[in-house]
Amino acid sequence: MRTRSRLVLLYGLTLAGGLIWLGGIVLAPWLCSRSSPLAPVVYACFSPVCHQIPERSFALFGHPLAVCSRCLGIYAGFLAGTLLYPFRRGFASVRAPRTALFLALSAPIVLDTAANAVGLWATPGLFRFLFGLIWGPLLPFYFLTGLGELALRARTK
Amino acid sequence: MNGQKPRFLRPALIGGAAAGILSGIPIVNCLCCLWILAGSALAAYLLAKDSSEALKPGDGALVGAFAGVVAAAVNSLVSIPFQAVNLAFSKRLIERLGEYLDQMPAAWDEWMARSAGPVSVTWFFAGLLIAAVVFAAFGALGGIIGASLFGKKAPAAPPGPPPSSPQP
Repeated sequence: MRTRSRLVLLYGLTLAGGLIWLGGIVLAPWLCSRSSPLAPVVYACFSPVCHQIPERSFALFGHPLAVCSRCLGIYAGFLAGTLLYPFRRGFASVRAPRTALFLALSAPIVLDTAANAVGLWATPGLFRFLFGLIWGPLLPFYFLTGLGELALRARTK
Repeated sequence: MNGQKPRFLRPALIGGAAAGILSGIPIVNCLCCLWILAGSALAAYLLAKDSSEALKPGDGALVGAFAGVVAAAVNSLVSIPFQAVNLAFSKRLIERLGEYLDQMPAAWDEWMARSAGPVSVTWFFAGLLIAAVVFAAFGALGGIIGASLFGKKAPAAPPGPPPSSPQP
């Protein structure tokens, strides 16, 4: 398989994974609103990666989403970044973002999370979401770089 | 590849154990998936520290994914002593969800009753499997970020002139 084909396949799988993941987050309250027996199962699937505190989560269909507002921002940002990826990088080669950009986009979420953890302030849900949304788009650029480099390495062996 | 496994093992165990412990303790686990990313980045840092060559993003992905699987296992074990606290939180979540409904669905009552009892081996391993897959993906991402941040090596200094032989 050629380099471009491998990278396109990886990109497609990442995009599908992002869509399924975000779909599951919305699916949980929808199932809940219909009193489906599957609702607790879907919530449980997201529990390893999020505290799911209802007060810190947005609500949809009258029920909290499966993850908190900060996590939702990160995952929504990840999906947005994945959609942007072909226009910014293309599929000819892989390259990680610059460290300075990573530090600049990570600063808001890191500072806010630390300040909340030590009790300096309590950020409203919308701002938690926005800080996640600022950081998330950078992540697929790392994810696809790492997996792409592995795939290309396997090809050359 | 076989030579890589022992090289990856120690960083993956340390980074994964740190992530698994911190993401399994109530209250501390409020940082959600960030612990897994941080633990995997730590694994990449340790791997880079022990390596003479620059760490490639793919190396970071591998060590991060291993660290994620270790974190899932450690997290499952650490969660056992905190089962009562986690159960109380799950009950509160389901009761909050039930407040919006006229009547709690029978399946949710069953879910709560099952959660209140001892965890069955099947449910334990099903949860572990889901966590391992999810944590491996998050771990790969953390490892790649770690490799990008810590994997660069300063270029080797050019060889100096050969030492001059002592004059007779």
